[in-house]
Amino acid sequence: MTHESLTHGPMTRGSMTPGLMTQRSLWIALLLVWSLGPMFWQLVSSFTTADALVNDQLSFWSRWTLNNYRDLLSTDPPFWRYLFNSSLVASLTTLLTLMLAIPAAYGMAKLPDRWKGSLRAAVVGAALFPYVLLFLALLELARTFALGNNLIAIAIPYSALSMPLALLLLTAAFEALPNDLEDAAKLEGLSLWQRLRWVLLPLIAPASASTAILVFLFAWNEYPVALTWLSRSDLLTLPVAMARIAGSSTYSVPYGTYAAATVLGAIPLLVLVLVFQRQIVSGLTNGAIKG
Amino acid sequence: MTLQLRAINKRFGERQVLHQLDLDVANGECVALLGASGCGKSTALRLIAGLDHPDQGSIRINDAEMVDVPAERRRVGMVFQSYALFPHLNVWENLELGLRMRGGSAGARDERIRSVLEVLQLSEQAQQRPAQLSGGQRQRVALARALLRDPLVYLLDEPMSNLDAQLREDLRPQLRRLMIGGEQPVVYVTHDQQEAMALADRIAVMREGRIEQIGTPRELYLQPASTYVAQFIGRPQMNLLPAKNGVITGIRPDDLRLDPAGSPCAILSREWFGANQMLLVRCDRGDLRLVCSGETAIEAETCISWPSDCEHRFDAVSGRRLPSGCPPSD
Repeated sequence: MTHESLTHGPMTRGSMTPGLMTQRSLWIALLLVWSLGPMFWQLVSSFTTADALVNDQLSFWSRWTLNNYRDLLSTDPPFWRYLFNSSLVASLTTLLTLMLAIPAAYGMAKLPDRWKGSLRAAVVGAALFPYVLLFLALLELARTFALGNNLIAIAIPYSALSMPLALLLLTAAFEALPNDLEDAAKLEGLSLWQRLRWVLLPLIAPASASTAILVFLFAWNEYPVALTWLSRSDLLTLPVAMARIAGSSTYSVPYGTYAAATVLGAIPLLVLVLVFQRQIVSGLTNGAIKG
Repeated sequence: MTLQLRAINKRFGERQVLHQLDLDVANGECVALLGASGCGKSTALRLIAGLDHPDQGSIRINDAEMVDVPAERRRVGMVFQSYALFPHLNVWENLELGLRMRGGSAGARDERIRSVLEVLQLSEQAQQRPAQLSGGQRQRVALARALLRDPLVYLLDEPMSNLDAQLREDLRPQLRRLMIGGEQPVVYVTHDQQEAMALADRIAVMREGRIEQIGTPRELYLQPASTYVAQFIGRPQMNLLPAKNGVITGIRPDDLRLDPAGSPCAILSREWFGANQMLLVRCDRGDLRLVCSGETAIEAETCISWPSDCEHRFDAVSGRRLPSGCPPSD
């Protein structure tokens, strides 16, 4: 359905003159350079020797190396350990967030209008709140309940912090569903959980997918809480581990290794986005479900 | 009486949607709830289905009180105006979902779905999604789903209002064959008086949350209880002459005659339909609609009259019917 709405929009290809076409391609190209340029730079740097990074006199063929990656994977603990930690934390966070946010969003969508407004305002407020201000309080919690250095426990604050955004997106998705569909399911004799499982969840799948990606991204990139909750070097998540690499030497910055770390750290996200591309787009633009 | 509504009140915020509504629908009887939008007819249907809860009153199906039974367990088959088919399931899965959730053997299930699809001529479309179906096909899937519910009551909420006129005429016989006149009572909500006249055994004309009049189509046509009913039933609508001595006189357009001995009038407009034609004429009592045979030649100036026993007389203040007028001819 997304494809239809894209191709039948007011600016269809057929209606454009060749001049407009080239102009549009030009803008798209500029935009791509703007957004992909830094990533390409990181990619090139990650395969460049430390010498070549600071010396532009070296010949083209002597610039390249795989050493940055070899260094990265031969440290103790090896870099893939951080990849694994981050994947675990981000997956757990996503799972926990969706498990809590989907029923909550369903409940919110069913509230009478007079409560809905103030509740939504509160959730928007929570979503906009700069969570960095919370990290000391969270650290206290971790101390009191002995939750430090525990990859499973850190998913709890992460889910809490992603909850407002997840609630907003999923509530909007539930509200966009026609009421008749749930009424029809009721009359068919489906209980609340059966309606959720067989009718509502499949219909909000695009919104759930885009929410999941955003939560996963948040957990993958989160720094202050991870920095304070995790200290054992084999339990670090990617952002903290990468910051350690960058600051590992007082006298030089290991640009090449750092670039290699960013490249490796970005790969799982790229795969995720590529796989769920369609759902993300249709979830974000919404309105994908019309009977 | 298998469906009984007694003294139902329902209020949404400030608005009283239903006032002391009483309704009885017998086994195999089809009652149409007819009215303009906002008259409470759809609310009444949702209360029977259990999708809304009445503030007061009792709803009984086969003498069992239903008010506190949740919609999931009420066993009503409802066809929605929007059809409400599940867009992520194909036709077969749409029909199967409810049966599967309610339990029963897979073999019996398949058998029932197959036979219903056959009856409704949907076997070819079994694997298609609702979005791939035409309006008429979607409507038939919705009917099939209601049939498979094996309900105690059928509720139809403007089931044909999204279809074009041709398709409606084609579907009416199917509807009558499959649902209406079976064992269950049928409540049919519509704003189309023609549909109500064609399908219902009795029609309840609703206005502002009350039943203005309930009766057979014939009773409503020949003896409308108020000016509101008089204008709602019958097309073109009844002529209401300006009040005289506190009495409004109503004449059906088909009771008016072209009569050289009648009162003179001028033709304002003319709509020709083939078999008949409708004229809008201006005479000393006001503007009147008149229906006559399509063959009749019309001049710019003409004279009309009507038999006085075809006059419907209404109280000018309350709009209620006054005695006399057309006697019900059997």
